[in-house]
Amino acid sequence: MKSIPFCLRSLLAFVCLASFSLQVRGEDSDPPLQFNADVLPILAENCFACHGFDEASREADLRLDTEAGSQDVIVVGDPSASSLIHRVETSDPDEIMPPPSSGKKLTDRQREILRQWVRQGAKYEGHWSFSKPVFRTPPTVEEVTHPIDRFVQSKLRDAGLQPSPLAAPETLIRRASLDLIGLPPSTKEVDDFLIAYAKDPDVAWQNLIDRLLSDPHYGERWGRWWLDQARYADSNGYSIDSPRSIWAYRDWVVDALNNDMPFDQFTIEQLAGDLLPEARLDQRIATGFHRNTQINQEGGIDKEQFRIDSVFDRVATTGTVWLGLTVGCAQCHDHKFDPIAQKEFYQLFAFFNNQDEPTIKVHDPALGDPPKDAPTTMVLSERQTPRKTSVYIKGDFTRPAEEVTPGTPAILHPLDQNSGSVNRLDLAKWITSPDNPLTARVIVNRIWQQYFGVGLVSTENDFGLLGARPTHPQLLDWLAIELERRDWSLKDLHRLITSSHTYRQSSHQRDDLDQVDADNRLLGRQVRLRLDAEVIRDVALTASGLMAAKFGGAPVYPPIPAGVMGQGQVKRAWNVSSGENRYRRGFYTFVFRGTPPPSLKVFDAPDGFSSCTRRGRSNTPLQSLTLMNDPAFFEFAETLADVIEQEGVAVAFRRCTARFPDSEELTVLRGLDSITAARVLISLDETITRE
Amino acid sequence: MHDNDPQLRENSRRHFFSQCGVGLGAMALSSLLCDDASATPAANIQNPLAPRPTHFEPKAKNVIFLFMAGGPSQLEMFENKPKLTELSGQPIPDSFVEGKRFAFMDSSHRINLLGSKRTFQQYGENGTWVSDLLPWTAKIVDEISIVKTCKTELFNHAPAKLFMNTGSGQFGRPSMGSWVTYGIGSECADLPGFVVLQSGPRGPRGGSVLWGSGMLPSTYQGVPLRNQGDPILNLSTPESVSSQQQRHLVDAVGKLNLKRLVETGDDEIATRINAFEMAYQMQSSAPELMDISGESQETLDLYGIKDPGESTYARNCLLARRLVERGVRFIQLYDTNWDHHGGPTETLETHFPAKCKDIDQASSALVQDLKRLGMLDDTIVVWGGEFGRTPMGEVRQYTGRNHHIDAFTMWFAGGGFKAGQVYGETDEFGFGAVENPVHVHDIHATLLHQLGLDHEKLTYRFQGRDFRLTDVHGNVVTDLLA
Repeated sequence: MKSIPFCLRSLLAFVCLASFSLQVRGEDSDPPLQFNADVLPILAENCFACHGFDEASREADLRLDTEAGSQDVIVVGDPSASSLIHRVETSDPDEIMPPPSSGKKLTDRQREILRQWVRQGAKYEGHWSFSKPVFRTPPTVEEVTHPIDRFVQSKLRDAGLQPSPLAAPETLIRRASLDLIGLPPSTKEVDDFLIAYAKDPDVAWQNLIDRLLSDPHYGERWGRWWLDQARYADSNGYSIDSPRSIWAYRDWVVDALNNDMPFDQFTIEQLAGDLLPEARLDQRIATGFHRNTQINQEGGIDKEQFRIDSVFDRVATTGTVWLGLTVGCAQCHDHKFDPIAQKEFYQLFAFFNNQDEPTIKVHDPALGDPPKDAPTTMVLSERQTPRKTSVYIKGDFTRPAEEVTPGTPAILHPLDQNSGSVNRLDLAKWITSPDNPLTARVIVNRIWQQYFGVGLVSTENDFGLLGARPTHPQLLDWLAIELERRDWSLKDLHRLITSSHTYRQSSHQRDDLDQVDADNRLLGRQVRLRLDAEVIRDVALTASGLMAAKFGGAPVYPPIPAGVMGQGQVKRAWNVSSGENRYRRGFYTFVFRGTPPPSLKVFDAPDGFSSCTRRGRSNTPLQSLTLMNDPAFFEFAETLADVIEQEGVAVAFRRCTARFPDSEELTVLRGLDSITAARVLISLDETITRE
Repeated sequence: MHDNDPQLRENSRRHFFSQCGVGLGAMALSSLLCDDASATPAANIQNPLAPRPTHFEPKAKNVIFLFMAGGPSQLEMFENKPKLTELSGQPIPDSFVEGKRFAFMDSSHRINLLGSKRTFQQYGENGTWVSDLLPWTAKIVDEISIVKTCKTELFNHAPAKLFMNTGSGQFGRPSMGSWVTYGIGSECADLPGFVVLQSGPRGPRGGSVLWGSGMLPSTYQGVPLRNQGDPILNLSTPESVSSQQQRHLVDAVGKLNLKRLVETGDDEIATRINAFEMAYQMQSSAPELMDISGESQETLDLYGIKDPGESTYARNCLLARRLVERGVRFIQLYDTNWDHHGGPTETLETHFPAKCKDIDQASSALVQDLKRLGMLDDTIVVWGGEFGRTPMGEVRQYTGRNHHIDAFTMWFAGGGFKAGQVYGETDEFGFGAVENPVHVHDIHATLLHQLGLDHEKLTYRFQGRDFRLTDVHGNVVTDLLA
């Protein structure tokens, strides 16, 4: 057909249309392809290096990354007439694309997709994250049933790779316990699991996950994940950094997660709980989310400047946390990369420019007058008379320009404006709207990141044009749709991910994977992840048996090295807690933003100055000094040494790592006195790592 | 198949030898398998502080930043302004202050000029003006570049300190020392690459974020060496533990970690083995650094150190030299209490001269000492605060000056900076630059340049953006360079 002259070809096409309508309808009934999900990955991987955005490396003056650029090689609706299709299908080695020298080769399936795409109109789409997730049936992979595994293993197979085998059961229970509740399993829990696992691995696993998800420590573990994003800390920041009381908000987060509050409701209550009809006390407490901004108490400052800075923070944080967009970049100018105008930044600003910032007693008025010692917490409330908002030239509040009203970026779905004037509640509903292409994706990605060290989108806080593309776009969309379908239940999402083989496989590195996929983006194995700062403390606390499992309440002051608190501008008191408060989880340690507790800071705990969507995992000598010499860790070691003396070093080893030591390890440990052996166990890489 | 499966373990072992074997070698491994208790794994893989290649040939290797926290008054030190003295007490012409914002705008902002009561003399080959408060600095004017037209953007202490250190008034950006160690690593194997020393009655405003690593890995954050107790947090072995037990601890941790490395193939474990070894080294190298009893009396006299055990700015200057000798890349000294508004404990009459006395001799001695040891060519010494002071006075019970950001003085020595020059000129009152303004971003760009780093190329990708010390600004001030 290629050799048939153009006019005749058109004629033939016409005849075909007229006489074989059945067949044509058959073609039309192919599921419509989605450019971003189906086609773009093929073009990006195989074509854009020479036919893409980068002019310097562009060949034959042809670009395939834009609709305009590709029209020379595509006849819309007619694959066989399109030289694009011809060049990828030909057997002529001089003509075939991609050229053999590139080392790339299209599969038959990929060629068929390109054909189908041209047939269906060769439509391009805008940036992937700005259009709604698309449901895809998980690909069929022989003997694999779990949808996540089907997505993951299908890509692995395309790369000629196999997933790793299941991790050892001791590794599995420790992994799940650390991931879901942030605590290591006891030796009894391990023993019970090993017995159950020997009987039926799948049932044992399911029961384990169910137990962990109903454990109230779950709320602390995942509460910390959320509080990082909420930039929570216990002081006012800036140079004076005096203590504040806002832990009722922290406890609200823990309760909400333990009760599996649907994530859309979780969002609405934090952004606008005070605006809900007949707002309850707990809904007002939830608005503490946006009170986690700093307050400058330095002399001589212009208060309005710092109020505006806190509003800037609220806009940027909302954009980062829920939309995965660097909205803050548009504070001073139109966004350089994403379609967000400076004016739109200030339209978002307008939602957050109309609040008072009261401190309330944590006490339900229905229960009468609050007791004198009722704790307080910081909340937002809407002002009666709105402030005017204008664009600030270069973000400078002394240079107001055009006045603006509340609104959302035009590139995203429209804001429901039916009620006339709009407020934070409308914004919160807009964020959780089923039309929002971003929120569900951003959240499932950030949860995925907790389990695999890196998200399906590696730039977990930038889903914009400069951000990374998802490695598994269809899986990301599938998970996002699944989250909404399951009424935004985070616990369901945890169940879904942890039940996959992808989650349960071994984290040991493999040569064959390393050669093809050194960063493990194809997920041919799990990953070893150094534990979060608080969990490092919790593991040592639990292993020693000292842990006080008390929930909630005011933050506490475990021992810290002398002289730490003198490092800020104002020397703050640190009266070491006594009794059980000395042995609480790291989650409850008081955090001064300016002088965070050193044993947390040294392991990369965030300081609450701005939203933290991914913690660093540094590996430094100061961490070694902490594990070896910090007074708190030494106290844990002393208690663990008692365990060694009473129950033997193998039990202590299991308390730290969940597995049995082998004979080489026992030989090393038995060559040491018990306090040294205990300090070794607390300091082991394996102890502070989730395998 | 589970990960205790022999096949999988073998696979991981193979992985280990093919990917991670560098530097560990068969010897350490065989020692592990033979259980030889004396062997210490000497892994040298992936040290994040290892020296790294520069963008171009560097002029300097190290930086010592003498930070006068609070904002020293240039008008009592380097800026000789007869016109200011002549018109003292009269309001500053409107043309100077129109549209400007100052700290304490609502309360104590004063508009009357305040002449300096200091006497100024000319020193050195170029006749450089220095006040009577800095007799020792006056002796080194031929070694240093004095810049009178430094300019910053923020007039409150903490934001301005952040700006001087990180190029931004926002908390959470990496400090200059972090950028430098991130960019070129450190040449010291047993001390941190970026060290902070402090003197004065309390910590600097802003606290530890001033030497924080921001979005860079925490490996690059500044480590404060403390004046009392352990110089580094948790440096001392717990009291009841013997040095032999501590060595056994480090050996056993290394041995078991190495075994896990072989089993899992995870390079991070190699880094951790290194980290424990360096931590152990630091336990002896840091106290050795702090112990200046081996320095000659002549040296102690040069710096003006009377009691070697007492923590002072002078002792910190000597420690800075000792740190440079040990290959530490970036050293920052904070001396606090330079905020002389004129209140009862912050007067230009009494308290300011006392502060000058605290720092004058030792700052000068540091430059001389580095020079005589042949280290000044490689080392940049920077002196300055987060901003300067206004030509207008705050006349309270005594006199003082408000924060001023339009023009203030800093000096630079060594590391390829021109020796013996005064750069930039201010107006008759010292309010603003009339020629050659030097913005903080320019200072950063110039310092990085001398270290062989292009400030536009030293970037870190975070939240979808490439961050720089100089944001989107900064020019290398080539006039300052030899």
